[in-house]
Amino acid sequence: MSDPNLENSSDMSGRKMFELISSAAADGSAARLGKLSFPGKKVVETPNFFAVTSRGAIPHLTPDNLKRHTSVNGVYMALEDFIEKKEPPIQHTPGGEGSRRLHRFTALPSNTLSVLGPRRCPAITTPFGNTPKALAVFTSTGFRNVTVPEFASYVQSLQPDIVLPMADLPHTSATPSSKKLVRMVERTEVWLDEFLSKLASSKPTDSLDSSVFAPVLPVEYPIQWDYLRHLSEDVIGKLDGLAVYDANLLPDLVNYPPLAPLPKLCMDPPKTPQEVLRQISLGIDICSLSFANITSDAGVAMTFSFPPPSVNEVRPLGINMWSPEHNTAVVPLVEGCQCYTCSKHHRAYLHHLLNAKEMLGWNLLQIHNHHIVTEFFVGIRQALAKGQAVFEEEARRFIASYEPVFPEGTGERPRARGYHFKSEADADRINKPAWKDLEKGTASAQITNLAESSTPSGESQDATPVAVVNVEEAVATLSIN
Amino acid sequence: MASNVYTSPALTFELIAKCSTTRARASILTLPHGPVQLPIFMPVATQASLKGITPEQLEDTGCRLCLNNTYHLGLKPGQEILDAIGGAHKLQGWNHNLLTDSGGFQMVSLLKLATITEEGVRFLSPHDGSPMLLTPEHSISLQNTIGSDIMMQLDDVLVTTSPDKARMREAMERSVRWLDRCIAAHKNPDRQNLFCIIQGGLDLEMRRECCKEMLARDTPGIAIGGLSGGEAKADYCRVVETCTALLPDLKPRYVMGIGYPEDLIVSVALGADMFDCVWPTRTARFGNAVTKNGVLNIRNFKYANDFGPIEPGCGCMCCREGEDGMGITRAFIHHNASKETVAAHLLTIHNVWYQLQLMRDIRQAVIEDRFPALIKEFFAGLYEDKTQYPEWAVEALKRVNVDLTV
Repeated sequence: MSDPNLENSSDMSGRKMFELISSAAADGSAARLGKLSFPGKKVVETPNFFAVTSRGAIPHLTPDNLKRHTSVNGVYMALEDFIEKKEPPIQHTPGGEGSRRLHRFTALPSNTLSVLGPRRCPAITTPFGNTPKALAVFTSTGFRNVTVPEFASYVQSLQPDIVLPMADLPHTSATPSSKKLVRMVERTEVWLDEFLSKLASSKPTDSLDSSVFAPVLPVEYPIQWDYLRHLSEDVIGKLDGLAVYDANLLPDLVNYPPLAPLPKLCMDPPKTPQEVLRQISLGIDICSLSFANITSDAGVAMTFSFPPPSVNEVRPLGINMWSPEHNTAVVPLVEGCQCYTCSKHHRAYLHHLLNAKEMLGWNLLQIHNHHIVTEFFVGIRQALAKGQAVFEEEARRFIASYEPVFPEGTGERPRARGYHFKSEADADRINKPAWKDLEKGTASAQITNLAESSTPSGESQDATPVAVVNVEEAVATLSIN
Repeated sequence: MASNVYTSPALTFELIAKCSTTRARASILTLPHGPVQLPIFMPVATQASLKGITPEQLEDTGCRLCLNNTYHLGLKPGQEILDAIGGAHKLQGWNHNLLTDSGGFQMVSLLKLATITEEGVRFLSPHDGSPMLLTPEHSISLQNTIGSDIMMQLDDVLVTTSPDKARMREAMERSVRWLDRCIAAHKNPDRQNLFCIIQGGLDLEMRRECCKEMLARDTPGIAIGGLSGGEAKADYCRVVETCTALLPDLKPRYVMGIGYPEDLIVSVALGADMFDCVWPTRTARFGNAVTKNGVLNIRNFKYANDFGPIEPGCGCMCCREGEDGMGITRAFIHHNASKETVAAHLLTIHNVWYQLQLMRDIRQAVIEDRFPALIKEFFAGLYEDKTQYPEWAVEALKRVNVDLTV
């Protein structure tokens, strides 16, 4: 497959990897068009999004499907997903020949951008906070600390295209005391300086560069103004972008003109397309799209588009594919959608797959939902090309046209693993037990024929006595044929 | 009509080549959804999906005939919905061939739930625990609705190791009677093939008798059933070779529930053409890779730093490098096995490819009449020396003129 957007120029001179096409804030909007170009990578037209991975994979998507059936330009990966072993194998991935270890290890298509940060997005709260010297992280085998030199050496070894340095982010409370906030800013500045100097001083000769996107903390401006000044005056030459942990801080950045031309990646993941629009309006160039994964796991197919269609009713953002109303619907998830899922399959199949707990359901939803998000951003850029006022007007219409949240997926989620959540005392079980013994003698009703008895799914969830739910899984596990 | 071709309303069987040493055959079976090359391994897409991979990815492995399970589709989505959608091909977006079992095996594999009478199989609904009844007529009705290219008769399945000879005879004879009921109930003989299933446990005489009765009904294809239920491999081989000796050359022969590579290659040598098993895809989900050198459990720590492909030289999408491959390493599978579903999907792709490639290699060898050499190469890949070769395989192959010991 040839991609016309693939740029092979290796012009990194003067760090001109980000080019602003329209910028000046006007009409209360800071939304802007740009272009992120890395040698050998697809050019990322902004505003855009990066997909979020779990353990190096976009959940449920194999690399061939990622390449063939999505237009994902970049992915976010977390270091904590790779370092549960004492000697993390990823560091020993054969490098060389201009290939980056993180790409090689995860089989990420080589023209897709990789972003490496220390923690998952969103991250799970650790039992202890960070220390002056180290960041607390959560691996698949438990909690541990990572120091700045360790992090820098991982970065040099894994060679992501973009790295997000360690930041001291709020721990348990979203609104820490101001004393704590001051300390967070101080630590982050110290960590950043140490990280930059480690990167510069101990660079292995065969190492490929990683572009540094410095953190902008989720802390009020009066508390971090001096840190931001440090970024814009002292270390600006070493920065290629900003990782913004709270998009609301962006208006304050106008006080630092040197920071304006930097690409801004938002690490405060939006939960809805409306939040995406807001982040873009504030001047975010790239959003981290964890809600695509969450929506797919919920069994919900996205249905929104930008600009919104001109109808007078408020529309849902997606369809709950668990709903039995789809069981015979031989129509695409979204009429006219060009994604693989919609062109080859239909709602009835998606409903069946979810209902039968077949993993393919989540796979096909991921392909569809990432396609919808891709098209959403295409629409945003097209509107922006006509001017910020057009974009803002369409954004207002979008908010008026769609429900504010995704519909709830009414079925079970894929099996959660230890690194997906933090267990708490007395919490409900996250995963249902796979199956239980069949209670003997529950039979009393009249004889029904198999051929006629099958009720359309969806009802089994609530009406079935617990003891007999899962025989069919037992069958699936035991039988050979 | 050429003497190497058999036609029936919904299939054509063309015998291409016969091994001059063993009983192996190469043929083309043309079904309503296109031709397939025999011998063949058919992966099992139990609930109309091959465990996490897309129909397109399945197609990429070269698969043109896979299984659905009637029992599962009868429960979900159910006959009424299948009818409204227009069958299982349309449900799963699969434009190639499908084979469905009768639904009987699934019920019997949890025997405490099922009782068998002349009328049919009585069992408790896993849906709500209510008693249900599966008759030959219901099974065929469901399979007609599913629209599979090959349907299987409902048979009375008994574990082959059952010592109850009288019960075994009853099951065999009942299976013949049920075939008659299935044939009578079959609505679409012009576009769906109904295969009979030979029963009779490990009793060769009973198997012969069953062959005779079943052949008299002239179904377009023939299955050998009731095997892969824990019997000794030597007994299994005896049954297969006894049956294939009695079967006509110009019909496909399907041994149900077989999937270990060794079983496949020996069974082909004994004259069988078609096989199915969930093992390669199930074992993928447990982190196991099937390779020329045996099954590797990639979850083992020794693969954590193994940056080679799942199987060197393999042509599957995972193992191929470069533009048209993924370049997946064992280390990456190890990293995500039992953690992210992607690792299971990748191993599923690899294992299905392995099974299909093995059958393609066998077929090519039969056509070029060098199958015995391939068998020797195959066993040499699995075992370090000949003393480790399984005795049942050595003995069975000896009877078809291949001596693994020399």
